[in-house]
Amino acid sequence: MASALVDAVRLLTVLNLFVLLGLAAVWGRNWWELRSKHAFGLLLFAVLLIGENALGAYLFLLDPTVSAWIGDPKLVPPPAQYAMAAFRALEFVGLAFLSWVTYD
Amino acid sequence: MEGVLWYVLTGTRGGSNRARILRALDERPRNANKLAEALDLDYKTVRHHLDVLKENDIVRDTGDDYGAVYLPTDRARQNWETIEEIIRNAL
Repeated sequence: MASALVDAVRLLTVLNLFVLLGLAAVWGRNWWELRSKHAFGLLLFAVLLIGENALGAYLFLLDPTVSAWIGDPKLVPPPAQYAMAAFRALEFVGLAFLSWVTYD
Repeated sequence: MEGVLWYVLTGTRGGSNRARILRALDERPRNANKLAEALDLDYKTVRHHLDVLKENDIVRDTGDDYGAVYLPTDRARQNWETIEEIIRNAL
């Protein structure tokens, strides 16, 4: 069970990264074309969350120390893994909805 | 209304085309077909943009039939300065 949760964290982190790259492309293009501070604000939001998820993806998937650590239920007990998975899932739902309205 | 305009016209994928549509409708109200021609856009794309603008109370149409003519709402006119500011950069 624990490892399924960690896999969910990994998968959602990568998914969030792709969704954010799509959003940043739309907002970045709009900012380039329209130069509005509103489009820039949205772009900045996407860039910061891209940073967060890129760092997460690196740490949870590639970094030898951290990726081994979060996968070990003795070191990171299930409640903590649930919490980590829930944060990623909530973020994914929020970003998915935002994409739906942005791609309009 | 101002926030809605900024979001609909600069925060979404179709924003700059919607700004162009709005400017065309300000010059002269017209139907979806004429808009598609004037702006060299696909008819279905124009219909979609008009639906989004309508849903946000930025444009309204004069009737439900095929040839319905679209024009900016009074609310949009009251905020035309904001629209101008966005359109200036969009073109």
